[in-house]
Amino acid sequence: MPRNLFGLNNGPAQFRRKNSDNGMRLALVLTALSLVLFTFSGRESGSGPLTTIRGGFQVITTPARVTGSFVMQPFQGLSNAFANLTADQETLSELKSENEQLTARNAELEEAEQTATRLQGLLNLQDTYDLQSTAARIISGSTDSWSSTVTIDKGSLSGIAVGMPVTDSAGVIGQTIEVSASSATVRLISDENSSVAAMVQSSRAQGMLNGSAEGSLQLTMVTSDKTVSVGDTIVTSGLGGIFPKGLPLGTVTNVTHNAGSSYLDIVVEPLVSTENYEEVLVVTSLTEDQQATADDISSADAQDSSSTSTSDDSTSSSTADASSE
Amino acid sequence: MQVRDTNKDRRGIGTLAIVCAVLQLAIAPNIAIGNGRANIALVFAACVALSIGGRQGVLMGFLSGMFFDLSTTGPIGLMSLLLTVASFFMGIEERNRMSDDPLGSFTLFAGVSFVVTLLYHLAMLLVGQASSLFDVLVLRTLPTYLLTLLTFAIFEYFIVRRSGPIRGKHGGGRYTLGKM
Repeated sequence: MPRNLFGLNNGPAQFRRKNSDNGMRLALVLTALSLVLFTFSGRESGSGPLTTIRGGFQVITTPARVTGSFVMQPFQGLSNAFANLTADQETLSELKSENEQLTARNAELEEAEQTATRLQGLLNLQDTYDLQSTAARIISGSTDSWSSTVTIDKGSLSGIAVGMPVTDSAGVIGQTIEVSASSATVRLISDENSSVAAMVQSSRAQGMLNGSAEGSLQLTMVTSDKTVSVGDTIVTSGLGGIFPKGLPLGTVTNVTHNAGSSYLDIVVEPLVSTENYEEVLVVTSLTEDQQATADDISSADAQDSSSTSTSDDSTSSSTADASSE
Repeated sequence: MQVRDTNKDRRGIGTLAIVCAVLQLAIAPNIAIGNGRANIALVFAACVALSIGGRQGVLMGFLSGMFFDLSTTGPIGLMSLLLTVASFFMGIEERNRMSDDPLGSFTLFAGVSFVVTLLYHLAMLLVGQASSLFDVLVLRTLPTYLLTLLTFAIFEYFIVRRSGPIRGKHGGGRYTLGKM
């Protein structure tokens, strides 16, 4: 049976399909409807019934989108790789340059973060111990191999004087020994000429923390009857009125009692390595609370007396033994 | 005489609609070349028009176009207009052209798909949603067209494979989309 351009049978009516317009009328209606919707959609510009319908549709179909995104995650790398293959040289150069800038910036920001952390530590120390102090920065280390010193960027113009204690965020690091107008030299506690009045925080045993040529710290003048254990914290005693009382110095790493000796051999490890000093506080004056009290002084004197009498007793007994012989 | 099984048609269309809707929403956005993505709505409309045609093809074209418009940020009514007209022309013979003549169907779809895609993106350029003609033609129309063509080829393969060979001279009257 022949068909016309639109596929309609030209034969007898009983053989012709009921829907013989091939959907033409429906197509015309729906085309007109689409044009109307298109016109209204263009006029809405962000709000209106069509936008609301679209919003509802988006909400209903969100689970499908999320699921699809999750399923396609492993394959997204492939599409990115393909996109990267088509990237031109200019794009790659720009990206490389941007990467280098961002890497440098990231390093700057990490450094700034660490500096901020250290400065916050100094502030915390200042607040905790109520230190009258001036902040300074270490600008160089020792220039010779005989001394353990550092140079800071503040001097007499900033109120710094010889003999002032210097701390970092962890505790005491040393004492100023030379001062110029805009800089000062700080002798570190590990220097063999350094000696700081100290005590064991837990047992209050008094002693002197001395540096050594090899850089280690020794707590001396602690009598053997005192209780000192590995791990004990050593702090400044405040005796002598130089260092504020109670500032951390180090921790005990070894305690030895030699036979015949009145004192303990105590090795102390400093809290911070000298290589890590950067921002420091210079204590410019001490409050009354930061100095050793009369009880502290008499306790220290008593300790000295007992150690002296112990050594006197041992000397007398050895003299008597020698006479009797 | 072959009797048209409308229930089978509806089941087939329904199944195909669900598959295409999921692909359009969940998968197509994640597969892109440049700024182009496969137009699964066009593929669905073409499958129905080339397998059944007539009023059903036109109606499905309109609805799939509307689905596409609602799921994108473009103006509502644009794709539904294009797919309504495209479905009418593809389904004008009201026969299972896809099984009768797969290559011919594919060729017809290739031409219609190109026109639909081009007109859609040119319209987006005219309404201000695209920035340049180069962007529209090279970065959107061409990759969209290629991805859509590829998707249709896959769909056609499976539909033809399931429907099998067509008996009878003209092949008209057998609506094998219902076999899906």
